[in-house]
Amino acid sequence: MLEFLGVTKRFHGAATRALDDVSFSVGKGRICGLLGHNGAGKSTALGILLGLVHPDAGEVRIAGISVQNQRERAVAKLGAIFESPAFYDYLSGWRNLKVLTAYSGGVDEALMRETIEWVGLSARIHDPVGKYSHGMRQRLALAQALLPRPEMLVLDEPTDGLDPEGIVEFRRQLLELREVMNITVLFSSHLLSEVEQVCDEVVILRSGKKVYEGEVSASLLGQTLYRIEAKDQEILDRIVQSFRGEKHGDRYAFPVECNPSELLATFVKEGSGITCFAPEPPSLESLYLHAGREEKGGTA
Amino acid sequence: MSLFLRQLGWELYRLFARRRSWLGFGTFLAVETLFYWFWTRERSKAGMANFIERVAGGFDEYFSALTLGFLIVVFTMILLGVVFVSLIAGDILAKETEDGNLRLLLVRPISRLRLLVIKFLSCQIYTSVLFLFVGTTALGFGLIERGWGGGMLVWAPEIPRVSLFEWNEGLFRYFIAIFAFSLIYLPVTGTAFMLGCFRIKPAAATIITVALFLADRILSAIPLPAFDPYREYFVTPRMASWLLLLYQEIPWPRFFESAFWLVGFGLTGFLVGWIAFERRDVKS
Repeated sequence: MLEFLGVTKRFHGAATRALDDVSFSVGKGRICGLLGHNGAGKSTALGILLGLVHPDAGEVRIAGISVQNQRERAVAKLGAIFESPAFYDYLSGWRNLKVLTAYSGGVDEALMRETIEWVGLSARIHDPVGKYSHGMRQRLALAQALLPRPEMLVLDEPTDGLDPEGIVEFRRQLLELREVMNITVLFSSHLLSEVEQVCDEVVILRSGKKVYEGEVSASLLGQTLYRIEAKDQEILDRIVQSFRGEKHGDRYAFPVECNPSELLATFVKEGSGITCFAPEPPSLESLYLHAGREEKGGTA
Repeated sequence: MSLFLRQLGWELYRLFARRRSWLGFGTFLAVETLFYWFWTRERSKAGMANFIERVAGGFDEYFSALTLGFLIVVFTMILLGVVFVSLIAGDILAKETEDGNLRLLLVRPISRLRLLVIKFLSCQIYTSVLFLFVGTTALGFGLIERGWGGGMLVWAPEIPRVSLFEWNEGLFRYFIAIFAFSLIYLPVTGTAFMLGCFRIKPAAATIITVALFLADRILSAIPLPAFDPYREYFVTPRMASWLLLLYQEIPWPRFFESAFWLVGFGLTGFLVGWIAFERRDVKS
């Protein structure tokens, strides 16, 4: 459904490339998380995908159609939500949707009502957007992205600023969309837990380079994270080293073949004064840390 | 075509739904009121009476609602025209880029050129509506003071001799000239719009446009022989060509020559803006 093919971009006056030969693909009906710290190149990648930013090299294809060569045809298959969506505050939600959808050739009013109902904005759709809460704006953003029916959604930090209930609701809606419409989603975020809960696969960017692409499954990493605390830090460090482990923040990463029972027994036997030993379930964070480590080592 | 008109219609709806757009109308009305007050003072009227008696005879006949309306329009436009037109044209793209509205439009399946054409036409339609509003309200002030009927007297430094019209012809000429005036403002729209297409603050687009046209007006008025070979390139003197439509005998070739020149200037501004905008990265 989506293909990034060797996309490179350097902004005028910038010392480094915002994107450096980035290639990845997302299949139909998949939810893909685009992860990276601020400045990693996520927004640039989305900008290029939406035809807002011109790449220096490479190409993005949506359903086989090049965004760079046939932008209107390619973008017709997309709906997009930006972080802090900017609507016309003096117009009602309904009028905003009318203005925006006019640029997509217009939308049947029945479909508009159905979509508004689905995002849960029916009661306030005729109020000026200036009076909307952040959560309501985000729901309006989702409605505009779904009008007319897109094949793919592009979401740029869509849950930023939402309260916990809003985040849960947004997540539910996203999964329902995939279920009902088989919609493909590219989801940019720096919230690991968020991506982990909704995405089938992730692409991790770091300093404009792709450092990981694949399933959200730590089994691919070859690493398991542990939370370990001991009274004798020196012994702890020595044992970690002997098991080919590494410190990542307040946790330790060990190769998956490392036996936890054996590891714990060693800590006890060596008299480290261990007070906490908790293997953590495979997480996206471990994936992220792994990707960063690989990249630093130049193997990614 | 119907889709284009629908898109233009919604753009106009959006433009006119904005309170800021109506502030322009309110400001013009306030300044018109000021000039109405000035032109209906006894001392101002006495001055006009002297002038009209000298050039046409019959102050009561020629100091009509149309004549008063014309005076109010001219002075109001000199004071506010360039500022407001450049404010709207400079704002329409630069402000939307700054606010982030433009991104939501640009991710729709529409070319940048088409979007710019819609925005540019909206500006021009807004300008024409604003000018016709000023013309109508100025005439309204005239009617309050002088009532319906009488002749129309037109004089301005650009007009070689005074023009005198019967009421009906005067009314026709009055509105045609004001409408042409709004089209002849295309260089202002084009310049501000062009600047708005670059990565620039909306206020900067307006200020630069106003500064350019003010400089043009001042330089063109300096009777320095060194300027003579370049005089035809000044824009603001040509923008007075709407007054040609108020000549007793309209010099159509001169009018069209100036009108085409000005329209060409405005469209060149649009073209340069489009090229810049097409190449530009729109990023948050």
